[in-house]
Amino acid sequence: MVSTAKCRVITQAVEYEREMVEKEKTFPRQHIRRWRLLVQAGAFLLLIITPLVNYYLHIHFVQGWYQSLGIGKLWFVSPLEGLESLLVAKIIYLPLLIGMVVPVLVAFFLGRVFCGWICPVHFLSDMSDRLIHLFARKKRRKDRLLLPRQIFWFVLVADIFIAMVLGAPLFVIFSPPGLIGREIMRAVFFHTLALEGLIVVAVLIANLVTSRFFCRYFCPLGALLALIGGKRRLRIHHDQDTCTECGLCQRSCPLGLNPALKEGASLYCWNCGECVEVCGPGALCLRWETRSQGQRGE
Amino acid sequence: MKRRAFLKILSGAACVLMLPAPVRAKKLLASPVRRNRLRPPGAVPEEIFAGKCIRCGRCVEVCPYKSIIPLDIRSGVYAGTPLVFAEDVPCYLCMKCVLVCPTGTLQKISQEQTRMGLAVVNKHQCYSWQEITLCRTCYDVCPFKNKAIILEELRPIVMDDHCTGCGICTHACPFTADNGDKAINIEPLFASATVKW
Repeated sequence: MVSTAKCRVITQAVEYEREMVEKEKTFPRQHIRRWRLLVQAGAFLLLIITPLVNYYLHIHFVQGWYQSLGIGKLWFVSPLEGLESLLVAKIIYLPLLIGMVVPVLVAFFLGRVFCGWICPVHFLSDMSDRLIHLFARKKRRKDRLLLPRQIFWFVLVADIFIAMVLGAPLFVIFSPPGLIGREIMRAVFFHTLALEGLIVVAVLIANLVTSRFFCRYFCPLGALLALIGGKRRLRIHHDQDTCTECGLCQRSCPLGLNPALKEGASLYCWNCGECVEVCGPGALCLRWETRSQGQRGE
Repeated sequence: MKRRAFLKILSGAACVLMLPAPVRAKKLLASPVRRNRLRPPGAVPEEIFAGKCIRCGRCVEVCPYKSIIPLDIRSGVYAGTPLVFAEDVPCYLCMKCVLVCPTGTLQKISQEQTRMGLAVVNKHQCYSWQEITLCRTCYDVCPFKNKAIILEELRPIVMDDHCTGCGICTHACPFTADNGDKAINIEPLFASATVKW
């Protein structure tokens, strides 16, 4: 027989251990924005350096941009571009599928981290936001045009459908993240820019109406990544007890989500960690959730 | 009333702009492949090229001769696809682009099996055939000399079972017509799926 006191000690110990495990699985809150900027800037620099190295030094070790990136023999293919290519051409090509494996796995476990941490559109939007913030008189910007978020899924389905009808992968031609890479390459290789680059400018200008207007509602790639990351492990965790309901997180979210209402765990969140950084009392954290924890959270 | 007038003007302008739309739309769906405008080696049939290519530009970046040029939005749905302008910079058959294509749009193929098109001598303009001079430039530059281009009575003849359509002869040809054609041109005969490739 175990005495009740001893039992209590054991349960305390178990609970303490569980807390420690949970703590280990949360990511450090500090400097998350700085890390993100570093990753984004690195990802953007890659787009600039790759064509320069290819053109002037003739070292073809790295080629391409975020539609398909080749590092030596390692290939990455953007999932939506690969999917459209497969669906339109109706021929299965194994290297293409293998190239899609890593991005799909990343999206499956980490969610839309490509959008939040790598995509050059988000990086340029971030930079322009900072610029505007420096010079703007009114510091707080409001989202002027809000649409139902479900448009996201509609756009994804419509994009694939139209691509299959037209027989040409639409998003492949007009994807803003791809266009940025293509325009930089064109500038380096041919010293010109193409007209379709205006799409990127339009996407950046749309940020003035609503923050990340394109990313939020109209990016089919983001929708596909969100869909893949539906059961993702890395989520924004919201602690009800520590939250003071100050609303800072909602104001800081580039997608206009409200992490205090657990929208950080929804499909639309891209895990950029902006809300985690601004949260004063530390009620929010990026957490690696095991399945049981995820179910408990829901 | 003001808004209604504005909408009227707007819709009117849209209608005027849309008038030549069918013509323009047809142009936007037309393939850019024609005489001396070729796909890189190992390309899949032109019917599925626009669908299969994801415009990642890796073939453009890897090409050491800058032969491959990505098209822009003026080519409609073919925007971003790679094209070789044979008379400007031909393909030197280094076969690097076929190794990096992630979608299989450019398939792995050997130099000899490449069929980007077929060189065709315009006998009405060729200096040798017109017996103006003893020009044998195309014969000299051909990477498959005496196989793809042979000389018969000092006049160049293209053998279709060896010509890869690389366009080096077109690039080298000293004759240029008013429309930019050379006396030896590459016709993209094998770009269509109807021809076994």
